[in-house]
Amino acid sequence: MHIELHNTLTDDPRARQAQQLTRACVHCGFCLETCPTYLDQRDERDSPRGRIYLIKQLMQEGEASSSTLQHLDRCLTCRSCETTCPSGMRYGELLDIGREMAEQAAPRPLHQRLLRWLLRKTITTRPLLETGLAVARVLRPMLPATLATRIPVKKASGEPPVRQAAATRTMIVLDGCVQAAATPQTNAAARRVLDRFGIELVSARKAGCCGALNHHLSAPGDARGELRRNIDAWWPLIENGAEAIISSASGCGAMLTDYGRLLADDPAYATKAARVAALSCDLAQVISTLPLEQLSLNTAVGKVAVHTPCTLQHALGQPDTVETILRQAGFELADTRDQHLCCGSAGSYSLLQKDISARLREKKLDALTADKPALIVSANIGCQLHLHSADGPPVLHWIELLDPSANH
Amino acid sequence: MIESTDIADTLVEAVIGAAEARAPLCIVGGNSKQLLAGRHCDATPLQVGGHRGIVDYTPEELVITARAGTPIAEIESTLSAEGQTLASEPPRYDGAGTLGGTLACNLSGPARPWSGALRDAVLGLRLIDGRGQHLRFGGRVMKNVAGYDVSRLQAGALGTLGVITEVSLKVMPRSEFTTTLAFALPAAQAIDTMNRRAAVPSPLNGALWHAGRLFLRLSGAQSAVAQCAREWGGEPVSAQDAPWESLREMPEALFDQAQNQPLPLYRLSVGSASSLGDLDERCIIDWCGALRWLPSEQALSSVHAIAAANGGHASLFRGGDRSGEVRAPLAPAQQGVQQRLKQAFDPGAIFNPGRLYSWL
Amino acid sequence: MTGRSAISAQHRALLTERLLACLGKDNIVLDVESQRPWECDALPLYRDLPLLVALPATVAQVKTVLQVCHEFDVPVVARGAGTGVTAGSMPHPEGVLLSLSRLDRILDIDPLARTARVETGVSNLAISAAAAQYGLYYAPDPSSQIACSIGGNVAANSGGVHCLKYGLTTHNLLAIKALTVEGEELALGSAGLDSPGYDLMALMTGSEGLLAVVTEVTVKLLPVPQAAKLVLAGFDSVRAASDAVGAIIAAGIIPAGLEMLDRLTIQAVEDYVNAGYPRDAEAVLLCELDGTEEEVAEHTATVSALLGELGASTLHVARDEAERALLWKGRKAAFPAVGRLAPDYYCMDGTIPRAQLAHVLEQIALLSKEYALPVANVFHAGDGNLHPLILFDAGNPEEIRKAEAFGARILTLSVEVGGSITGEHGVGLEKIRQMPAQFGEAELLLFEEIKAAFDPALNLNPGKGIPILKRCQEYRALPARHRHD
Repeated sequence: MHIELHNTLTDDPRARQAQQLTRACVHCGFCLETCPTYLDQRDERDSPRGRIYLIKQLMQEGEASSSTLQHLDRCLTCRSCETTCPSGMRYGELLDIGREMAEQAAPRPLHQRLLRWLLRKTITTRPLLETGLAVARVLRPMLPATLATRIPVKKASGEPPVRQAAATRTMIVLDGCVQAAATPQTNAAARRVLDRFGIELVSARKAGCCGALNHHLSAPGDARGELRRNIDAWWPLIENGAEAIISSASGCGAMLTDYGRLLADDPAYATKAARVAALSCDLAQVISTLPLEQLSLNTAVGKVAVHTPCTLQHALGQPDTVETILRQAGFELADTRDQHLCCGSAGSYSLLQKDISARLREKKLDALTADKPALIVSANIGCQLHLHSADGPPVLHWIELLDPSANH
Repeated sequence: MIESTDIADTLVEAVIGAAEARAPLCIVGGNSKQLLAGRHCDATPLQVGGHRGIVDYTPEELVITARAGTPIAEIESTLSAEGQTLASEPPRYDGAGTLGGTLACNLSGPARPWSGALRDAVLGLRLIDGRGQHLRFGGRVMKNVAGYDVSRLQAGALGTLGVITEVSLKVMPRSEFTTTLAFALPAAQAIDTMNRRAAVPSPLNGALWHAGRLFLRLSGAQSAVAQCAREWGGEPVSAQDAPWESLREMPEALFDQAQNQPLPLYRLSVGSASSLGDLDERCIIDWCGALRWLPSEQALSSVHAIAAANGGHASLFRGGDRSGEVRAPLAPAQQGVQQRLKQAFDPGAIFNPGRLYSWL
Repeated sequence: MTGRSAISAQHRALLTERLLACLGKDNIVLDVESQRPWECDALPLYRDLPLLVALPATVAQVKTVLQVCHEFDVPVVARGAGTGVTAGSMPHPEGVLLSLSRLDRILDIDPLARTARVETGVSNLAISAAAAQYGLYYAPDPSSQIACSIGGNVAANSGGVHCLKYGLTTHNLLAIKALTVEGEELALGSAGLDSPGYDLMALMTGSEGLLAVVTEVTVKLLPVPQAAKLVLAGFDSVRAASDAVGAIIAAGIIPAGLEMLDRLTIQAVEDYVNAGYPRDAEAVLLCELDGTEEEVAEHTATVSALLGELGASTLHVARDEAERALLWKGRKAAFPAVGRLAPDYYCMDGTIPRAQLAHVLEQIALLSKEYALPVANVFHAGDGNLHPLILFDAGNPEEIRKAEAFGARILTLSVEVGGSITGEHGVGLEKIRQMPAQFGEAELLLFEEIKAAFDPALNLNPGKGIPILKRCQEYRALPARHRHD
């Protein structure tokens, strides 16, 4: 589609980028039925095509009201639509621009701004989050049941790997923010599993949140700061021969692959960011290349339902890697439906769009548990916490199943 | 082969004359179906049988175009020479059944559930409306969604919307190989079996139950038919003993003709898997269960009530009182639309008055 | 002008008030900014805004909307998923846009009788997805099947790649429920294979929302074929490929799908998805055979031998499911792939007798030179449905004009060789000016009478599908604001 930019926007690089991106869209509407929020609302404005149209309107009129912003806010950025799109529309990129500009056109009321600011600051700052979680665990008995079940149980991380052989390969691991505080056992398991294959995971003390949260909450400045900080922290390790930057949370992994694009206009960082993006991958992409038969595993854990996070399938293009790994490792997988649909976690979405998020969660749990699995596994911390429920099967990170020292 | 003649101009003149004189016409092709399908119609006959001949036939296009008075039998033999056929297996009525009349009655044989009705094969037609206009709808191509589907609307309209003069049909290759299997089963079990068989991939294209026996017809590539016959078992039935030809021409011939006075024959169109209870045992069950022929002395309303309870409808196909209604009543909203539609095509109400319904 | 007197502000306020009372404010869209995403379907060249958008969630609410609109004598345009490509569901500026997307329940699947009863907004693919657990599926598969609604399929009589063998929407319906313009219920068809009286279901199918509003559809389901094989053949000329299509059919085989792509399309597809088509061919044929294992094996051998004899320069049977999927992906990506060659494309939809294919393609090539616009051809070869894609730039008004004129010439050409202006997309607003090329005045007048038999005030989707000659107020040269404003 062609956008005729409003005369106040012709020199705005974001608007020009939006204009360029939108050319790919032919308005066919194939994306509608694979969009979780369209399926929930059945309203064109809550579909990818409708949102592209709202953004187009914003670019053409040079203004938009809170109504436009509301529908852009409802997007999960799951990017299921990008998988469906026959003409290669990069919707996620367009939406980020649209949100940022719509927010400027129709500033949020103070309480919303405050909430978003708080979210960005607490979640991405690990000591604050850890403190918060500790407080929540103490208060758990006093909280309403729906909230109480969502607080991740503190689980022992287990022993650090006992080196099996001299590590011949080194990879950087992203510790991140939420996962490091809520489920440190995930990366601990990853370290032990990779160690079996002579791969050592190293982390950079100064690295932190990948930047996704700020980026998707229309705080590109803060996000870029986090990107630069991480690049600076990892660069010596990269120069030292680390062959990859892996993330065991696919939401963060997807963000890492975008570093190059997001800092392309920063002369000091563009090259380094592109290198970081090229080196980054999800843990599953590494594990899938290893001879897993060498692990002697207890696979008699019952049927396992695999939840493939949107970021893993739609952003990183790995729709069945985790399933393939677990099948090869000998686990029995449960039948599931609608794998392409988001669980409703979507970063801060579950906190900002509670109703839609809760309905998507219910639907996802139904789709995952129809075959009565003993366990659910995910590949992203947000989804893992979101899908946890008091009466449902436990939700783990899939790497925990491959960890010989763990008991599930 | 019968001579090809084009009497379209004569027909148009006759219609204009009738419209001016407000003198209703009863459209007659081969005079094979006057006593069935519709109500008794008392009007001046308009003979369409002389408008006959195949206008165009291109086997590679899978399309044949013929004048309405062309006998179905003639069309079939022309197609047969090229290894093709009318997939809906319409009755030929000893060579008297014509293309126009067969479409107007929308009569189909046992392959109907798999291969469609004549309604489904229609690509286009020419029609003289009640103003005497010779119109053309649809075409000779497989897909055409411009304008309303007036061609298909003529199927089953019993000629009450106009005089069909020419029809283009989609034709199909004739099956390479056909075999029939028989199974001794009560009606209820047969209905279940035929529907289960139809729900899995197979060359099935005929499923009939009558008098304690289920007949399944397999038709297609020889290897596929042979494989399926081996899997399904049953008793093989030779081509001349298979019931399909009788079923196509005159289903009631399958009934025991010992009775001196044959009963009126009802045609019940119902959900294929539905059960009519004990009544099923008295029916010929064709179309994989979707069509049940029932000889009965009961009134249309009570037979229809049974069909309606199973999602369908009943009509008095042959015999009985053909001066009363022979089809199920319509809801008022639909009746209104049908009357206005008739008015749109035939404002002077000159075509086949009362043949479909007394009010049309 | 429309001839319809513009609704007064007072009348409009009353109408809005009534609909708000019936549907609630969350289900009525009033402001222009919020309405904008509904201003067009998948042909964004044509746009307009409605009085308001209604989003009913139940059939009862749809009925209410129709009753209120009837009382106020305002037009109603029904919209499903908005995936049509003829502006058939473009809003009417004086009317209500009735979105049926919320009627999205699958009501019943009967695995034994092989039927599915669904609400009108359910997507085509969702029916097959729900039937899959019984080994059944819904056969018509328009390329938009992932999103298009079944109600929209009925309105358009949608086809798809497999319709030569399995038929169009009209061949795969058992029953529909619809509401008349007055809000009266019509129950058409039956659980059996026919219904008494006129076949109104046949008439409704493909009527583009002009006769009544479909609320519920019962479709036939078929067993999923046991096996499918795809044969790929490259030819040195379009004529040779076209002859091969005739030869396959003359051999007594009805392929499940039979598609042809021309040279420009082949290049575009290979650049975009690397499907594995021969780049040196002038035309590629994709012939899919399905059925039981034995049947497919037998037919694949016959077709391969035949294509070899007919001089195919490349001949290949897909080795496995992955390769079959990849070869189909190329066909399915043909439109976007061609779309990458230019800022915009305009897709035509004529059908022609297959024997005319080479002639028609030659003529199209000449027209392409005359208008100086490239054209790529994708062809449902089995059923003669041609999709020329005219490449142009919508940012350039002169190119838009040329693309439209070029398209009109192709449609006229299709009719001249005995075909139709539209095989599966419908007329909508886009092709309404070409209707007189295919139909005489008497036929068009009868269409108008049929319309009036259902909708005497012409309030359902006015201005689309059929030109109105007698009542005249709607038939007009398109006002400028309908076009690329």
